[in-house]
This record gives sequence, C-alpha cells and structure tokens, in this order.
Amino acid sequence: MVLSGPLGPSLAPAILKTRGLYRWMKPIADWYANLAGYRKVGYKYDDLLVEEREDVQRALTRLTPREAYDRQFRLKQASHCSVLHDVLPKEKWTKPEEDVRYLKPHVENVEKEALERRAWDNMVLSKK
Amino acid sequence: MLASRSSAARSASRLARNFATVVDTAGVKVAAVDNGEPTSAVTFLVKAGSRFESKPGVAHALKGFAFKSTEKRSFLGTIREAELYGGVLSTSLTREHLAFTAEFLRGDEPLFVDIISSFIKSAKYTRHELDEYVVPVCEAESTTAFSNPAIRALDLAHLLAFRTGLGASPFTSPGTHVSVEDVKAYAQNVFTPGNLAVLGTGIDAATLQKLVEQSLGSLSSASAPTSSPSSYFGGETRIEAHGAPETIFIGLGTTGAPSAELAVLSAHLDPTPSVKWSKGTSPIAAGVPEGISVKTVLLPYSDAALYGILIQGESTEGVKAASKAAVAALKASGDLKGDDLKKAVAKAKFAAASALDGRDNLVFALGAQAFGSPASLDSTISNLDKVNASAFSKAATSFVKAKPTYVAIGDIKRLPYADELGL
Repeated sequence: MVLSGPLGPSLAPAILKTRGLYRWMKPIADWYANLAGYRKVGYKYDDLLVEEREDVQRALTRLTPREAYDRQFRLKQASHCSVLHDVLPKEKWTKPEEDVRYLKPHVENVEKEALERRAWDNMVLSKK
Repeated sequence: MLASRSSAARSASRLARNFATVVDTAGVKVAAVDNGEPTSAVTFLVKAGSRFESKPGVAHALKGFAFKSTEKRSFLGTIREAELYGGVLSTSLTREHLAFTAEFLRGDEPLFVDIISSFIKSAKYTRHELDEYVVPVCEAESTTAFSNPAIRALDLAHLLAFRTGLGASPFTSPGTHVSVEDVKAYAQNVFTPGNLAVLGTGIDAATLQKLVEQSLGSLSSASAPTSSPSSYFGGETRIEAHGAPETIFIGLGTTGAPSAELAVLSAHLDPTPSVKWSKGTSPIAAGVPEGISVKTVLLPYSDAALYGILIQGESTEGVKAASKAAVAALKASGDLKGDDLKKAVAKAKFAAASALDGRDNLVFALGAQAFGSPASLDSTISNLDKVNASAFSKAATSFVKAKPTYVAIGDIKRLPYADELGL
C-alpha cells in the first residue's frame, strides 16, 4: 500500500524513529529540499503531490477556502515563472519554515477512510 | 357502558404507573419500560430543539452530525456495525427536543448504547463531514419540508405566534451558514447530564441504568442553554405558491402549560369522522365542501401551545367556504355544553390515551415525564374529567379572543384575508 499510496514511498518514518539517524540526515534533507528548486518558484512541497488521483482530489476539497486560494495562487505564480524561464526574486522564495505539509493530513485521512471501507467490505464474519 | 369506561380509564392509569420510574443515573435521567416487545429501542432525548439554538440552523446541523465520526469509531464503522447487528439508527428534531434513537434486537444494547453515547461524549465534528454529508442532507430535508405547504404554514405560524424561541424553525432556512465551530459550541452546551434523558422501551431498566452509568459517567456538567419563556403574539402572512394545494392555517396560541380545555376544544372541532366514509359530527364538518381537507392541529409545548385548523384544497372558493365554517365553529365553541361537551371530553380522553400507543409516542411521553413535565396520562385524564361547561366556556371565550395567527399559502390574490373570515 505504501508504494501505490497517494504520498508515494518514503523512508522518513523509519528515519524519524532513530534520533541519531535523524540528526545526521536532517542537514542532507534540508540541502536536498533547497536543491530541488521548487521553493525558488514559490511552491510548497505539497503543491507537487500527484493530484490526478481520486483520493487526492477528495483531500483537496477538504482544504479551507484560504488554503485552496493560496494553493491556486502558488500554482499560477509558478506556471508564470515557467513561461518566463526564470525563478522568483529571492525575497519571494518559499522559506523553509513556510514549507509545511498542509495537504498531507487530509490525504492521509482520505487514505485511512478508503482502507477502512475496504476492510469492512472484505470482512469475514465468524461465530463466537 | 359507564362501568366499562371507568375500567378502561383504570387500566390506562395502570399503564401510566408502569413506566413512571425515572431514575437519576450519573446525573442523567433514565427511564425504561418493558412491555415484552421482541425488539428494544433506546432514545437519548436532549433538550436541544430549535428553540434553544444559539444561531439559526445549528440544531438542524447537530442533528445531521448524529452518528458521524467519534473518537471511538468512524462514520463508516458506526453504520457497518449497526448493520451487522441489524439495528436501525435514527434521529428526530422538534422545537423542544433532539432525539437519537437506536432500535435493535434484545441483547445488543451494550453496542447501541455505546454508539449513541460515544457520539454524545466524543463526536469529532469535522469540517469535511459538515461539507460532504451534513449540509447537503440538511438542505435536502429543508427543501422537501418547505415544499409541503402544510409544513410551511405551520412553520410560519410558529414564527408569527411566538417570534423568538418556539418561533425558531427546526429546518435550516435557505442561505443560512453554520460553521463547525458553531455546532461544536452548541453541542458542548446542550450535551450536559441535566439536559439529557435516556429512555428505553423493551429493555430492562436496571440494564439500561448500568450501561448509561458506564458510558456517560464522565459527562461534563456545564450550564444548559436556556430559552426565554414563550409569549404569544399572533399575526397574518400570505405566501405565493403554485402547484400545491391552497392552504390556510387559522391558529390561536396560549402560554403556560397546555390546558385540558384546549384538548377538549380540539376534540370538539376535529372534523375527522370516527367512522370511515362518513361525515364527522363536528360543527365544522357540515360546512366543508367536497374535496377540501380540514384538520385540527394541537401542538402542546412545555410552556405554550399552538392550536389551529389547517384547511387545504384545490379550489380557493372551497377553501374559503371551509375557512368560514371553521371560524364560525371556533367562535361558537364557547357555548358547548351537555352531551356535546361529554362527547368532546370522551374524544379528548381517547386521544390522550391512544397517544401512548406506538413506540415513538411512548418514548415522548416518557421523555416529558423525565424532564419533569406533570403531564402523565393519569393527570391528563383526571384533568379532562374535571372539565365542566362553565370552565370550558370561560377558557374557550378567552382563548378565541386572542389575536389569531393566520397563514395563507397558494394563490394569494384569491385566498381570503383574515378579516374577511371574521377573525
């Protein structure tokens, strides 16, 4: 389920479990996130989530109106950057503290509901 | 004849005593009656009807949230589990009460009491559930209800008669916005032990008390919402509508606990025949043209009552003629005496006793008792017995003198105005 889930495969939960490993990995992760370049066009990480899926579409409807508006703004801003073949001026880059997973909890909830529905649908009854 | 009648009254009062055991369990009132039904039903009755709501539509939204996700189980889990056990979960909302009911086979009570009490205690009230399930259902319910002219007329009549409090509709009016925070705040306010009664039918009282104590023991006791005492205003309104029967509601209201005289008046005027395919002997029945339906509506509340006559039909002329007959009968009702009075009292007594038939009615009677209303069947019947001609005539004349509540829905250019009917 992890591989085919809406959030894709991730080693993060395993790394977060070990304090030492986390401390060692964190600078590399920060370096990688900055290197990926999405922050330079004003994106947050969750803007890059594959949205052509039913579960993510459902999660998107659960954003607050403000979050949905801001997301649309970032998408527009970034596609404009793409047209100009340029990045935003440095003061408009997404700061690391602004790069929060605003969509992830909703996606996880939707996934959990789908898993629960599947569990109930395929339940086998047995006599006590 | 007389002997058989008094024995009927005796057995009715025996029934009333049967369930007159309201026990405080963890601050919650618990009452149960077991008449040997094959199934059990448990109702959590909350004083959270629309008259207590802090914002229009909140009570309806809270009703819509029933059985959604809680800390214990998800929305889907609640439904699937109830289905596995073959139970039925339902809710109902009146102006006074919000009721959560579970009906199930005997022996499944731990699960179903837990389903309702976990909603009372730990519902999550998530925003996506409000948007995805609650709001569409509330809108659909309101649209269906308001497309029925009888419901619409009664709703408007309440607004005219009581303005605030009881005037608040149990249906969300179009365009109102309720947020999750509103619902959560309202729920916290109303789900307090003193505001809650747990009523069981077909279930042992001790079992129910034990389950309630286990599940609701730690319910926080904040102050319950209050509604200002009702006062009666009255007034007139006309609403244009098409494609539905022409509807007129002529209503009168009183404040204070509903009186026996009002029940007798209602029984006297009720044109529903006691024998099928015949005309009733009510004074209204003679003046009603063919194809026009006339119903009397008596809505008693804890501190007020609205009594009215609902007239519906396809032709405005017919509705007008029937309304005239109804108003004339209403005005003349003060002169009721002798056998006619006895007949009306007997009819009212039967109506009061037969109102305890059926599970839903029994639960509401239990609920009224749990919340300390004095209207047990015993006292209702003895009060009806005490009605005499002079007291009735005094009550009826003063009642009819009040400013009427008049609602016309349909072709408003041709439907009569209140003064044209002599109100």
